[in-house]
Amino acid sequence: MTDFLENTQPLGRVVATERKPNTPHEFHFWTALDSPVGIGTIVRVEGAHPVNGQLPEIYGIVVEGFSYTDLMTPLHDMLGHDGTPGGASMSATERAEIRLYTAAVLRQLPEEPLQPVPMGRVYLATDADVAVALRMDGYLKEGARTGIPIGVYHAGGTDAPIYLDADFLLGPEAAHLNITGVSGLATKTSAIEWIIQSIFTHFPASKGSVAAVCFNVKGPDLCFLDQPGMIDDTDRALYEKCGVTAEPFTNVQYFAPYKSDGFSLNTLRSNDALLHNVTSLTWGLREVLQYAEVLLNKDDVDAKADALIDFIRERVVDRDFSDAILGNKRYIVRSFADLEAWFRDVLVALEGKNSEGWRTHHIATIRKVRNRLSNISTRCAGLVTDDGAVSDLPFGSFQDRTVYVIDVASLEEDAQDLIFARVVTKLREHLEKRDLGVNHVIVFVDELNKYAPNDGQDTYVRKMLLDLAERGRYLGLVLFSAQQFRSQVHRRVVGNSGTALYGRMDADELATPGYAVLSPAVKTKLATLEKGQLMVRHPHFTQPIFVRFPRPAVMRGRDGAEQYPQAVELDLDAAVLRSLRTLDSSITLNWVRDAVGIRDESEIIRARNATLRERPADVKKFFLAQLRPVVAGQQPARVPSPAIRSAPADDPYGF
Amino acid sequence: MSVTTPLQPSRAPTLQTVARALATAFPDSQPAEHEAPLETTAPSIQPTRLLSADVIEGRELCAIAVSGEAEVGLAAFLDGTQRSEVVRYVRGVPIIWGTVGAVIRDRRERRLHTWRHVVEQRLYAPRTQLSDAEWDSLGRAGYPLIDSSRTASGEPASEHPLALREAVVNRVQQDRKRAEQRLAVAWCDAEDRRLLVDGGISDSDPVARSSAAIGVVKSHRALYVSGAALAAVLALRERERSSVFLVSPERRASVASWYLRIRDPRGRDPMWGLVRVEMASGPKGADLTRRADEVSRWILAEVAPVSLPDGRWHTMLYGVRDCEEFLRAIT
Repeated sequence: MTDFLENTQPLGRVVATERKPNTPHEFHFWTALDSPVGIGTIVRVEGAHPVNGQLPEIYGIVVEGFSYTDLMTPLHDMLGHDGTPGGASMSATERAEIRLYTAAVLRQLPEEPLQPVPMGRVYLATDADVAVALRMDGYLKEGARTGIPIGVYHAGGTDAPIYLDADFLLGPEAAHLNITGVSGLATKTSAIEWIIQSIFTHFPASKGSVAAVCFNVKGPDLCFLDQPGMIDDTDRALYEKCGVTAEPFTNVQYFAPYKSDGFSLNTLRSNDALLHNVTSLTWGLREVLQYAEVLLNKDDVDAKADALIDFIRERVVDRDFSDAILGNKRYIVRSFADLEAWFRDVLVALEGKNSEGWRTHHIATIRKVRNRLSNISTRCAGLVTDDGAVSDLPFGSFQDRTVYVIDVASLEEDAQDLIFARVVTKLREHLEKRDLGVNHVIVFVDELNKYAPNDGQDTYVRKMLLDLAERGRYLGLVLFSAQQFRSQVHRRVVGNSGTALYGRMDADELATPGYAVLSPAVKTKLATLEKGQLMVRHPHFTQPIFVRFPRPAVMRGRDGAEQYPQAVELDLDAAVLRSLRTLDSSITLNWVRDAVGIRDESEIIRARNATLRERPADVKKFFLAQLRPVVAGQQPARVPSPAIRSAPADDPYGF
Repeated sequence: MSVTTPLQPSRAPTLQTVARALATAFPDSQPAEHEAPLETTAPSIQPTRLLSADVIEGRELCAIAVSGEAEVGLAAFLDGTQRSEVVRYVRGVPIIWGTVGAVIRDRRERRLHTWRHVVEQRLYAPRTQLSDAEWDSLGRAGYPLIDSSRTASGEPASEHPLALREAVVNRVQQDRKRAEQRLAVAWCDAEDRRLLVDGGISDSDPVARSSAAIGVVKSHRALYVSGAALAAVLALRERERSSVFLVSPERRASVASWYLRIRDPRGRDPMWGLVRVEMASGPKGADLTRRADEVSRWILAEVAPVSLPDGRWHTMLYGVRDCEEFLRAIT
C-alpha cells in the first residue's frame, strides 16, 4: 500500500479483451483490492514496447469501476451458504475478487501516432504526472506562467494543485466560467469567492490589471467579502498548496440603491460599522432612458412609442427645448420631475388646441409613453431619482484587484434588470475605449437560469448576456456565472464558458441530455460530492477533473448577518446623520435637526446625496449650502387705520 | 523446459509461436487448426477397480460422525493442470505441444496468494516414426523434445495414431504429477502449515510421510472398499467419515485414508459429495481417530464457498478451484 502511495510500485495492470478492448481514448486496468484508486483518480500507464523509439506513457482518469467474483450466478453463493447470509463470513476463503477500472485517456506520449492504449503497468500519478496529464506543463513554465490554482487534486499520496490557464479563463483564448450545483451547500458562491481570490493572487502582471463586479442577488451572500471568515487547518493547507494567502479581500466597494423612502440603503450591509465602503447607487433620467427597453416590454414599446422615446432622448433630455405649441417656453429636462412637467405641458397644449398629434406623434402614444416612463421612477424607487441625482460605480477609475459588489438582492426584478443592463453596458463601453481603469473585469452573476433562461421570451438582459458570453473575451469582459440547473440556462451562454465547474448535482439534472457524456460512475460521484469538492472542465483538460478547494477566507453571509445585524429603520434625520457621519464623525443628531429645520424631505435627501457625492472637506458647510435658505420670520408692519371722522358739531343726532 | 516464478513475467511460447516455428522447419507439414486439446478427445480413462485395504481404526470399516465443528486448519492448496495440443502433422505423425502447470496457493487473511508455481512446456513426437533429419529439425526448434514412441512406463507405443495421442496424454499427465510433487515436496520442506493436495499424496515418499500434506481424492475409479464396507461408505451421511484404512500401493509409500461425506447426498447419487482423504500413516489408536477427525473438520471447513460453476463442485474445494483458475490464467 505504501508503495502505491509513493508511486514507486505499480498499482494495477492494463487489461483488454475482445469484448472490452482498449481504444485510443479509453482503457481498462485491474488493481489490488486495497489500492487507493477511485472514480476521478489520475493514473499513468507505462507501455512495454517502444513506439518510434519512445516507450509510450499514457495518462488517464478513472471514470468507471467494476467489481466481481468468480461466481457465475448469485444463486451459487446462496447455495454455498445454505441460504444463510450470516454464514458467508464464516467461509475460510474469500472468493477471488477483482477491482476492474475503466479510465478515459487524458494524454498519450508520444502524441503521434495515436494508438490504442497498450498493455502495461499502471501507476498512481505523481504531482508531475498530473501536470503532464492535464497539459498544465504548457502554461506553468517559468517566465510564461499563466496558471491560476483552482484547487487540489487528491488521490492516494498525491496532492497536486490544479491550475487553470489564465488565457483560457479571462481571455483572450477562451473565457468565462460557469458553475452549477444544488442550492444550499454554499459551494457555488464559495467557489467563486475562492477563485477570484486565486485570480487576484496569481493573475500574471504581464497580463494587466483585473477587477471583479459581483451582483449580490440573494441574501447576504456577498455582503461581507472584506471580513475574515472561519477556516480550519485543512483549508489552510489547501491555501498553502495553492499559494494563496488565506485573508479576506482587501479592496471591496459596495453599492446599493436606496429603499423606496429614498434615504435608507437597500442592503443587508447597512450596519454602521461597515458603511465606510458602501456607496449609494442612484441614477437619474439620463442614465435610465438609454435602457428604457429593459423596463418596457414589447407590448409597451411598439414602433410609434419607440420613435417618441428616441425623440425625447435625442431632442429633449439635457437640451434646451422649445416649441411653438408650448408657447416657445424653454425646457431643460434633466430629471423625471422635469420630464413629467414637460409631458404635462405638451398634453395640456394639445388638448387646448383640440389637436390629435404633435410632431407626427399621436396624442395617445404621448399619453402611453408618459405613463410608462413616469412609472419607472415608481417601479425602481430608490434606484431612480426624480431629481436626476447620480451616484454610480467609478467607471473610468476602477482599481486593480478590487471587488465591486452591487447589492440588488432586495430589489424588484425590473430594478435588478436595469442595474445589470446598465452596469454591464457601461463596463463594455469603457473596456472598448480602454478607459475603465483596469484591463479585465470579471462579472459574477448568480441565478443565471433566471437571467438567461433556455426558454421563455427574449429579454434585453438575456441578449446582453449572450453578447457578453460570445464577444466579451475580446474586450476583457469575463462572465462568471452560477446556477442550480445548467440545463435551464441558454445553451450559448453556458456553451461559451470555457471553464465549467460542477458541485453536487441533483439526480434529475444529471438525467438531462447535457450530462450524457459523463459515465454513470462520474454522475454518481457528482450526485454525492462533498462540500468543497468540484468537478472541473477546462479547455486544456480532455476529461473532467475532481478537485478540492478551500473555504473562502471571507465571512459567510449568514455569519455576517448575525455579527453585523442590519441597521434598524431610521427616520430621515437619523438616516442623514448616519450618512454624514461616515464623512464627519463630529456631526450630531441635534446639528442635523437644526440644519434641516422644517424643510421638506426631498430637499433634505437631495442635500444629503450631493454631500455624499462630493465628499467635501467641510461636510457641515457643504450640506448647509445645499439647503435653500429659509426666509426669516417677519412681523408684518401694522398699517395704521384711518382715524374715525369726528361727528359734526351740529349733528342733530349726536349724543 | 521453461519454468516461471511468480515475480517474473511469463515469456513462455504460445501454441501459435510453436506452430509457426514448425511450419518453417517442416514446410510440407500439415497444420492442425482448431483441434481440441487431447485431454478432451483422447481421455485417459482408468478402469474401475475395487482394491483391498486394511482397516487401521477399529476392526471393521464403519461410519463415524466427525466430532466437533468444522475448523480452519488448512493453509494452502496445491493443484496442477495439463493441456496437450497437436501443433503440426509431419507425414501424418502428430507433433504435440504439452503444457503442464502446478501451483500452491497460500491463504493469507482469507485470500489466496501464489506461494510458488511451475509451468513446463514440451514438444512430444514419436522418434521411431520420424526420420533422423526430421528429429534433428525438431530438436533445433529450441523447445524441450520428448520421445513419445514409448509410454511413461517404458513400453513401446503403438503406431496407431490414436494410441500415439493417448500415450502423449499419459506422458503429459506424468509430467504434471511430477511438477505437483516437486511443489509439494518444496512445501513440506519449508513449511509446517498444512497443505491440501488435490489428489493422492502417496506418489512421493517425502510428501506421503509429511504431516504437512493432506490429500483429497475426488474421483473414485478405484475404491478401497467392497461388500459391507462399500455399502457403509456409500451410505455415509453429511459430516460422516469412514474408519481409517491403510492404502499401500506397490512401489509407493503407505498412507492412512478414509472416506468423508462433505455434502448432504440426499436426492443425489451415492458418490455425491464423497471424497477420500489421505494423510501420513503415523498415528495409531486414539491418536489416529483424533487426527482423522481433525483433518475431516479442516476439510469440512472448506465446503464454502462452493466451486460452482465447475461440474465437480460437490467434491471440489474452493481452494483447488482457485488453483485451477490461476493456472488457466497463466498457461
